[in-house]
Amino acid sequence: MQASRARLFKEYKEVQREKTADPDIQLVCDDSNIFKWTALIKGPSETPYEGGVFQLAFAVPEQYPLQPPQVRFLTKIFHPNVHFKTGEICLDILKNAWSPAWTLQSVCRAIIALMAHPEPDSPLNCDSGNLLRSGDVRGFQSMAKMYTRLAAMPKKG
Amino acid sequence: MQNERQTQEDGQKESVASPTPEFEEWTNFVDDDIMQQQAAVQSEEAKKIPFVGDKEPISSLAAEYESGSPILLEKIKVLDGQYSAIRRTRGDGNCFFRSFMFSYLEHILECQDQAEVERIKVNVEGCMKTLQKLGYADLTFEDFFALFLEQLECVIQGKETSISHAELVLRCRDQSISDYVVMFFRFVTAGEIQKRSEFFEPFILGLTNSTVEQFCKSSVEPMGEESDHIHITALSDALGIPIRVMYLDRSSCDNGGVSVNHHDFLPVAGDLTHASCKSETNDPFITLLYRPGHYDILYPK
Repeated sequence: MQASRARLFKEYKEVQREKTADPDIQLVCDDSNIFKWTALIKGPSETPYEGGVFQLAFAVPEQYPLQPPQVRFLTKIFHPNVHFKTGEICLDILKNAWSPAWTLQSVCRAIIALMAHPEPDSPLNCDSGNLLRSGDVRGFQSMAKMYTRLAAMPKKG
Repeated sequence: MQNERQTQEDGQKESVASPTPEFEEWTNFVDDDIMQQQAAVQSEEAKKIPFVGDKEPISSLAAEYESGSPILLEKIKVLDGQYSAIRRTRGDGNCFFRSFMFSYLEHILECQDQAEVERIKVNVEGCMKTLQKLGYADLTFEDFFALFLEQLECVIQGKETSISHAELVLRCRDQSISDYVVMFFRFVTAGEIQKRSEFFEPFILGLTNSTVEQFCKSSVEPMGEESDHIHITALSDALGIPIRVMYLDRSSCDNGGVSVNHHDFLPVAGDLTHASCKSETNDPFITLLYRPGHYDILYPK
């Protein structure tokens, strides 16, 4: 508990210091609880998520950084490796490939990379995975783009 | 009721007859549940043996193989002639690092080898620089380094912070210390492998078909990933500490007599003159027993 708090505080200071270093990620710690974070990440360019801003919720366990943070999408997203209802993310570094060499910031980078490079063979969203696996890239992209517009872009007016 | 029926079906999945609400529950059965189950299995394992066990006679090893291969029993007899005790570690994928941690700190505590402490501190400093050069952020590894150096200070006697042998055992069983020291070794190992990637690359390609960096990310840095020759070589080199591994497996010897194979991992650039309180020999002061998939600690007679 002590150790995780100390580590998170270091990450917090680093995020404050490097605020402008990565314009695609805005990582914010909860005012009253250092174990709760949210992030806004920009959809990577040349993907159906381009132009969208996606919100992530982090719940950090007491054993952090020996155990990974729990991360999920709060913004609805159509992606093979993200659960359509819960926003849960299927990403190895959030599971058994986690190590303390990762930080909340680098986890955000890994999630952006996952958005650009879906792994349709281990889908949490089967509809999305099946479209890609059957080679219907156009179908996948139009669905993903539609949900990006509906959920991840500011409403006009 | 539901569970009972499932057990009766001998673990088979619920049949197609299951009503929709349950199916929805099943779809919610996601990775988090799997991780929770893994944690449950681990805590089961934890009840059986602490991270680091008590010293046991070599004969306790023979008891495990009573109905097993005669070659193994013969080899255990040979070991019994050379070694006085075994100290088991938990089979959680961290057993090599855990064995190394205890063995090394126990050695320093018993020998009070101040020169060795000074020597390893220089190497640890070097490992830190290696990680920085490789682009690791300080905040990711510094806590683990600090905790190891703290343990190193504590085993030196005659200070306010000094700890007894019994306390060392307790600390190595305390997850908040033990896992941090294991992680320190994992960082050191990953740093060394990437620093000398040209040397390690062929071994890694032979083992996993991944790049050196991928290998470190997937097989060295995560807790619970088992160690191989590559890990042992890298750790021994990075810290400048020789390690002897005795192999207890079913391989038999050509010359008819039974002997136990061993391999000494000798650090490449190591200055061994101060490495041991038994400085008249170049024998490693850390001896581990390897059985396929697991490492324990051995105590020479």
